[in-house]
Amino acid sequence: MTHRELMHRSEAAVSVELETPGMTLNIGPQHPSTHGVLRLVAKVEGERITEIEPVIGYMHRGYEKLSEVRTYAQINTLVNRVDWVSGFANEVPFILGVERLMGVEAPERAQWIRLILTEFFRISSHLLFMSSYPLELGATTPLMHVLREREYLLELIEGVTGGRFHPNFNRVGGVKPNYGGGSQTKKQSMDLPAGFFKLVAETMDRMDQICDDIDTLVTGNELIKARTIDVGVIPADKAIEYGLSGPNLRASGVVYDLRKVESYLPYDQIDFDVISRTGGDCYDRYLVRLGEIRESVKIIRQAIDIIPAGPLQAKVPRVLKVPRGQVYSRAENPKGEFGYYIVSEGGKMPYRLKIRSTSFSNLSILPWILNDQLIPDLVAIMGSLDFVLGDVDR
Amino acid sequence: MSDQPDTSGDTDVNPLEDYASEMSERLGAQEFSVEFDTVRVLVERDKWVETINAARKELPFFSWLSAIDWSRDTEVGEGVSDPEDLEERFEVMCRLSSVTSADGVIFVATLPKDDATIGSLTATIGGAEWHEREAHEMFGIMFEGNTNLVPLYLPDDFIGNPLLKSFPLIAREVKPWPGDVDVEALPEADDEGGAS
Repeated sequence: MTHRELMHRSEAAVSVELETPGMTLNIGPQHPSTHGVLRLVAKVEGERITEIEPVIGYMHRGYEKLSEVRTYAQINTLVNRVDWVSGFANEVPFILGVERLMGVEAPERAQWIRLILTEFFRISSHLLFMSSYPLELGATTPLMHVLREREYLLELIEGVTGGRFHPNFNRVGGVKPNYGGGSQTKKQSMDLPAGFFKLVAETMDRMDQICDDIDTLVTGNELIKARTIDVGVIPADKAIEYGLSGPNLRASGVVYDLRKVESYLPYDQIDFDVISRTGGDCYDRYLVRLGEIRESVKIIRQAIDIIPAGPLQAKVPRVLKVPRGQVYSRAENPKGEFGYYIVSEGGKMPYRLKIRSTSFSNLSILPWILNDQLIPDLVAIMGSLDFVLGDVDR
Repeated sequence: MSDQPDTSGDTDVNPLEDYASEMSERLGAQEFSVEFDTVRVLVERDKWVETINAARKELPFFSWLSAIDWSRDTEVGEGVSDPEDLEERFEVMCRLSSVTSADGVIFVATLPKDDATIGSLTATIGGAEWHEREAHEMFGIMFEGNTNLVPLYLPDDFIGNPLLKSFPLIAREVKPWPGDVDVEALPEADDEGGAS
């Protein structure tokens, strides 16, 4: 039988059985569109999803329980592994919360370094999205192109913190002194590496350039537009009800950015815009993130001009005993609101640490948003939410 | 917050105090506290769903829901500072916030240990389902009205509620930590060396 005949036969077979009974489709547990392990159990009628149940927990590491037997300094290493793409940005609200409980304030220079590194990680996280999301939609070119540029940024981060992903660079009362080894007793701090600001300025030019390149490759791409415009629309009231935050919330027309409303780190001394869109579809979520990279570049350029000289650490006791109290501390992570509810009973370890991780809430809308969608749109919608499974499972 | 590290009572004027008192009065809540810029409003268990739905008119954003196990029986961690005075209980907490300002309130309901049941928010807040499922498996709290309280993180056949203070960290008991890290004594508390 020739190939053509085979094709005709199979088409005939399909046309006879066009009545497709509902079935249950198991997707995963692998990574269908993002990093980590997620399983979806979908009930489908033909190509249409009628009900979907995400199954999570494959990466549950029990950080909230572990935190009850860890000192505050040790917890810092745990929390930057919650959302591993934005490690530093997870440390910031935790450390700020502990500082609030202890009544300690980091020196100005340390605050600015925190701000600059947070924005580095925001660009890094968004660039990962910019490389992987088009790939999920079938555009392979941006992947390597964008990842290559991201590497320049990761090198900067490594130059300051010594790590590419898990910096563990915050300390209660400042940032890590004595970078670059040396004996523990040496009291002088090494500060930022030599030539850092010049390198930052150069890298920021590259980031501007890659944003333009992404615009050329992706933003105007007809196929990408066809796959994302008016797909997976999340209205503002639903986004708020499910606790979506960050770019996912702002794409639905809610102009809400913790960098503007909460007074943490010296964001109030910087001129930047909150990027938002009104459509709430996959394309808008993509555009908000692209716009945020440009804003972060703006923020970093201003920050390296303003950053004052000075110490990196306030004086704190070597053994941290946090006074009794309860605090909720949150900050704008690349993916949205990241917060910690810290309950201290006056000891070296917290009595309870609730981690409000961003992706957990962002993903909880899946059963609602994927209802009555087509299977081919599933990856487009899930990818556009930009979640990290480690952040979902904690 | 960076420019006002501690506003927990020493200062005379605290706008958050006014905000919290007005809020709890309007909602008919029992009492409130403002600590480190964190507003907690205590709600009676029977009015939990009703109060939170009323509060969502001005604080629409559902941030999170979780619980604390206040317990003397601690297998892990350091425990509470004054075990004699402790009232054994669960505290269920739900944080709502504004989407235009920094306003946010943590609503707290106290549940007795032998009757840890509270109304579910899922009828009006879709996002509460996962948070309630997590609190259910981790603490054993029942949310009446949540029809899908199946385990979220834990395996289906898991026994116990891991975030209870009485629940040991089993991994450590089965297999001791291989390194010396935990064996090494922590520096003495009176060693005020200073890191800078």
